[in-house]
Amino acid sequence: MAAFLFHLGRYMILMWRVFSRPEKLSIYRKRLFDEMVSLGIDSLGIIMVISVFMGAVITIQTAANIDSAFIPTYTIGFTTRQSTILEFSPTIMALILAGKIGSNIASEIGLMRVTEQIDALEIMGVNSRAFLILPKVVAAVLINPFLVVISMFVSIGGGYLIAMFSDIVTIADYVYGIQLDFRFYHVVYALSKSAVFAFILTSVPAYQGYYASGSALEVGKASTRGVVQSSIIILVANYIITQLFLI
Amino acid sequence: MIEVHGLYKSFGDKEVLKDINARFETGKTSLIIGASGSGKSTLTRCLVGLIDPNEGHVLYDGRDFLLMGTKERKRIRKEIGFLFQHSALFDFMTVEENVRFPLDMLTNMSKKEKDNRVAFVLERVELSHAHKLHPSELSGGMKKRVGIARAISPKPRYLFCDEPNSGLDPQTSIVIDSLIQEITHENDITTLVITHDMNSVIEIGEQIFFIHKGELWWEGTQHEILKTDNKELLSFVDASGFLTNKKG
Repeated sequence: MAAFLFHLGRYMILMWRVFSRPEKLSIYRKRLFDEMVSLGIDSLGIIMVISVFMGAVITIQTAANIDSAFIPTYTIGFTTRQSTILEFSPTIMALILAGKIGSNIASEIGLMRVTEQIDALEIMGVNSRAFLILPKVVAAVLINPFLVVISMFVSIGGGYLIAMFSDIVTIADYVYGIQLDFRFYHVVYALSKSAVFAFILTSVPAYQGYYASGSALEVGKASTRGVVQSSIIILVANYIITQLFLI
Repeated sequence: MIEVHGLYKSFGDKEVLKDINARFETGKTSLIIGASGSGKSTLTRCLVGLIDPNEGHVLYDGRDFLLMGTKERKRIRKEIGFLFQHSALFDFMTVEENVRFPLDMLTNMSKKEKDNRVAFVLERVELSHAHKLHPSELSGGMKKRVGIARAISPKPRYLFCDEPNSGLDPQTSIVIDSLIQEITHENDITTLVITHDMNSVIEIGEQIFFIHKGELWWEGTQHEILKTDNKELLSFVDASGFLTNKKG
């Protein structure tokens, strides 16, 4: 418990320093765009591949689980859309990105720590916490909702491909299902939680990397800790947000 | 000038620095020497504020660094250049970007002024041709020279060099030592070099401070060190193989 409180306190202090006033806005602006490319555009490929298969599998599994003749087949499209928007695109993508981006952030910052690059920033009088972490967190919070929207479209598109190339559901029924009882609030809810997840999947690994010490081995451990902890926190946050906003 | 008065530092029960008193003169290259674990790196980290000492005063031209608030410390830090043992260059930047970085972050220079300053310091360390390279593409000696260029680009008043010769061949070590001394004299800055390279001591040590078991054991010049009868210092010099090599 004492260790948990220690890390929680240190994380809060780190975040306080991260969000303090930046020294040179022009430098931060440039770093923000670089990070948006690195965290966003560079993740687009994996997001699209996972999403298309995710949508296809949801469609097949839903069809496979509908036994009753009284349940209309457009339910398959409806279920694919709801599962994708409410859960799969925001949460599964966040967990995937926690692995991809989180390990990258923790190892990058951790390596800068053990090679004294962070000390170099501090000696120059630069706020190393803000300089290294703020652009990553802001970039992820801004770009992640866009990635999630793309994931939603591609995932529903994956289901459409199944409708097109198999006979488990007709294209007309699938398209009717994905349009049925659409609530924009669900998209707002999904995008809001994706922004929260983006904050977690960048700030937690950044914390682990920033306080890494010793050798490259320690950086590897910090990276693993960053991914595991951010994944667990994302799942807990997912539960809390769902409880608060959906019930 | 940097003055240190009554500096103490402990980690838990272990006393690492004990009552350090020293004066590092402007325009001179001061060397802090001592065996590994003697406390010289801790001393330097206390001087630049990376570690807070338990007790004592560090004065930068009369300004007490340890009594300052964060803002004032930041101002002093802008006057400090630091060359790290492993250079600590930013991997994601080119040589030119590394050298330009302190100017971007710490000064209000125009783009043209920055361009001129970067070109000048890269020329000074003879690396104009390497400005587009990344640190991973540089040799150990080149990295040190980029480290020096980055440290001096914002025209610091104080320059700290942590083991500038570690990992370098003897010939490159001489080049780096000479460069540090020339820069010190040209810019009339206060330079502190941490080393256990006795060749550096003899080549550039205008002021030498020998740290032993966390205490300032001996203080003198490059000429005086060869005539010393201080047992611990003699033992350190002897262990470095310097005297044997000279006799040989």
